[in-house]
Amino acid sequence: MTAATGLIDRRDVSRIPARLAGIVEFLRMMSRKPVGLIGLIGVLFFLFLAYVAPFFVPLQDTVDVTAIYAKPSFAHPLGTDFQGRDVVNQIVYGGGDIITTAILAALFSTVIAITFGSIAATVGGRIDALILAITDVALTIPQLILLIVIAAIFRPSSFFALAVILALLQWPALLRQIRAQVLSLKERDFVEAARSLDLGLMHIIFREMLPNMRSYIVIHFIIAMTLAIYAQAAIMFLGLVPLSGKNWAIMLYFAYNQGALFFKDSFLYLMGPIMAIALFQLSLVWLASGLEDVFNPRLRN
Amino acid sequence: MPVLSVRDLSIEYRTRRGPVQAVRDVTFDLAQGETIAIIGESGSGKTTLAVGLIRLSPRSARVTKGEIRYDDGKRAFDVLSLDSERLRRFRWADCAMVFQAALSAFNPVITIWEQFLDTGRAHGMGDKHKVHDRTRELLDLVHLDPKRVLTAYPHELSGGMRQRVLIAMALLLDPRIVILDEPTTALDILTQRAIIDLLRELRGRLGFSTIFISHDLSIAAELADRMLTMYAGRVVERASVDDLFYRPRHPYSVGLMRAVPRVSGALGSVVSIPGSPPDLIRLPRGCSYYPRCPFHIEQCLAEDPPLLQVDTPNHEAACIRWEAVAAALGSDAEAPVAEKLA
Amino acid sequence: MSPPLIQLDGVSRTYTTPAGTITAVDNISLSLEQSETICIVGESGCGKTTTGRMLAGLLRPSSGRLLFEGADVWEKKGQDLARFRRAVQLVHQDPYASLNPTRTIAQTLAPPLAKHKKAHGRAARAAMTSLLERVGLTPPADFLLKYPHQLSGGQRQRVSIARALTVDPRVIVADEAVSMVDVSIRISLLDLLHNLATEFHVTTVLITHDLAVARYFARKGRIAVMYLGKVVELAATEPLVSDPAHPYSTALIAAIPEADPMITRTKKRVTLKGAEVPSLLNLPPGCVFHPRCPLSEPGLCDVVVPTLGDLPGGRSVACHVALRERQPAAELLGVR
Repeated sequence: MTAATGLIDRRDVSRIPARLAGIVEFLRMMSRKPVGLIGLIGVLFFLFLAYVAPFFVPLQDTVDVTAIYAKPSFAHPLGTDFQGRDVVNQIVYGGGDIITTAILAALFSTVIAITFGSIAATVGGRIDALILAITDVALTIPQLILLIVIAAIFRPSSFFALAVILALLQWPALLRQIRAQVLSLKERDFVEAARSLDLGLMHIIFREMLPNMRSYIVIHFIIAMTLAIYAQAAIMFLGLVPLSGKNWAIMLYFAYNQGALFFKDSFLYLMGPIMAIALFQLSLVWLASGLEDVFNPRLRN
Repeated sequence: MPVLSVRDLSIEYRTRRGPVQAVRDVTFDLAQGETIAIIGESGSGKTTLAVGLIRLSPRSARVTKGEIRYDDGKRAFDVLSLDSERLRRFRWADCAMVFQAALSAFNPVITIWEQFLDTGRAHGMGDKHKVHDRTRELLDLVHLDPKRVLTAYPHELSGGMRQRVLIAMALLLDPRIVILDEPTTALDILTQRAIIDLLRELRGRLGFSTIFISHDLSIAAELADRMLTMYAGRVVERASVDDLFYRPRHPYSVGLMRAVPRVSGALGSVVSIPGSPPDLIRLPRGCSYYPRCPFHIEQCLAEDPPLLQVDTPNHEAACIRWEAVAAALGSDAEAPVAEKLA
Repeated sequence: MSPPLIQLDGVSRTYTTPAGTITAVDNISLSLEQSETICIVGESGCGKTTTGRMLAGLLRPSSGRLLFEGADVWEKKGQDLARFRRAVQLVHQDPYASLNPTRTIAQTLAPPLAKHKKAHGRAARAAMTSLLERVGLTPPADFLLKYPHQLSGGQRQRVSIARALTVDPRVIVADEAVSMVDVSIRISLLDLLHNLATEFHVTTVLITHDLAVARYFARKGRIAVMYLGKVVELAATEPLVSDPAHPYSTALIAAIPEADPMITRTKKRVTLKGAEVPSLLNLPPGCVFHPRCPLSEPGLCDVVVPTLGDLPGGRSVACHVALRERQPAAELLGVR
């Protein structure tokens, strides 16, 4: 029995296939809060743009000095950059790396937080104290400074490495939440029943407790993504990492350093990636807000 | 002249799934010095009714019709028509409420004395010393030691003591009517006994009229003069205590009486009511007790039965089959239903 | 002669707090046979819940032994211990907390069936269906896909019982399992538990503060009355209820408000001295009930701790006066 089949009201069983009914239910709940739905659409749009669109839109990499900072036109809706390349094209290609890194960073931090948060809460004692101490230290260090220092020391040369570094900054907050949740869930009657029924620690953590923390985990994941994106934008804008390629953050770096701020027509080269980042972040946050309701089983029919 | 006359009171809640008719067409009178017990289970609407009488309902609730007429001989008005200032004066001075003695009835971070002071001030008792004197007087009345209780925090008192404090607080302004919501639920047996005896004593000394809301039949047997049973938001039977316990005429009242075992005397045939209460959002047509009723006939589905006068005086039941119920019980003696149907 | 199925042997449970030592349960011994129905009754603070949890093996006694089929439970290890855990199941009081709100009924019943009966897919579904029928949730297909919040309190308790039954327990301890359920359906739940004992030979222990419920549930069994951590009376239900042997039981039964105006008007009350229940931190010397007891004798009751002794008729009581006079306290207090 998957979660999807669990969402079906008995009436629907005979009429719609299981998976579809689950999705329908999900959309129905999201549509209750319009911001959630808008956020979902926004996120899907950007994901499509970043991962699917590049298959249809060829990369325009050729330098064209005659078209430097050209005015917006039909051929270049957002104008061109300092080397005459189309801005819209760069935005299409600029999302992939950033979003992938953000997803990886969020994933790593979530896994670390769940693992060690559960261990701390179930084992208790000295291990708990140790994990908490490390977490508290990590929480109090100013994130951006730490990020800059680590980036400067390790000079991550792949996005994967960058994701790992970013993850290391994010796990403390979720870990504390997971630990607090597990501590309180441990005492609940249904967990005690699972223990009496001898269902095993793994079952208790993953099948009894974790589903009750779904909302924290998913919402943390989304927020972690937003933080990872900001962090990437920050260190790449500051030119601290030896990463190249096309992405929104590097666009920002070049835009700023190539003086796009000072020309009327080139302003969009600077604003383009800023708006892309900002809109994607907003979509993520609105999606998280809408998901809060979905995860409350009491609000289901 | 009854001190409280409720006529056709209906209260509706707005919920995500639609409007819930929590209380429907409730009508009853409360005479001066009388005690009425309103008995019902989950979904009966009794708590909505209780808080509705002093208009303490949450914002999602709305009175759709009816009136609550208060008349103490000097003033008479419809409680539903009062503006907020006059309502504040009505509450506590004319009609006070005693909530269940759970910790949530108290502000956990202030002492009992401060709770009394707050209550007094909120209802027009400005002078601190007056409140203090009155508080000590009331604590004596409920057999609590002021020295011990006034400086304590709510969590430092036992359930029984908290209930006494709530009773004392309700009596602060010497109200005509006291409404008690589940006054003995969740209390130990000996504590319940003490609270029941206390209420009896206070009623005798101060002469107020009382309304009890409870799912516990025994408190009705102990303290009430008259009883109402509620089911799915409606009053289904109105009678004197003896009539309702020994000569019930509504199948739900019969079912309820039969479902509660006693400690003393023979057990008789104790049996649960099958099924569950209806969904108040999608109420079926006709009598809402139909699916669980052993006396039902086709005609019961036609419409919601009105309260009909039955074979004993001042006794009404909302059932068109009440005569069949009376026949099934057989005798009119002072014997419990479980024995009569054994 | 086979040993009793489950036994508490001189069991105590104490807690150390900054304020002092609390003795929640003091040296109690209780033996239960297979298929037996027994109720443990008492007011709050008497230790009945602690006793129930110790019986279920969820709480370790501070001293004394818990014996299952003659063997000390807390000495068991590995498979043996796991077997005990499954053999004794607890049904909780709060129907709203006893089921995982994020799991459907089927998802709640499936894991123990999969782990212990190795039942999956169709076999599991068949087992679940038969369990739901056994606990009176029909038609079962209606309930399997529902979430707990879609069921009423009574229905949730039935699911809890079904869950306990997935591992074929020998003992079920129901801790106030009907207290939070509607009055009109309590009887049907109690009947269900009673049936488990008579038809399926499961020893059922009901912990409650409601003597009327105790009387109905254990009408063919026994009742143990507890006060401040001790068992003060242990007897078959009908004799205990009609003619209580201990002054505390007598006062309790006399004090119960009854759902019957005639009885409640004519009941003889027993007045206890003083209203205060002593704190568990500071128990009175001798018999813990003596400060409130109308039969208390200075020099005896405030000095010597009474132990459970036998009265004629197969009842046990822990009261010096009742044992000496060889008469139940109800007679001595004139409330019979």
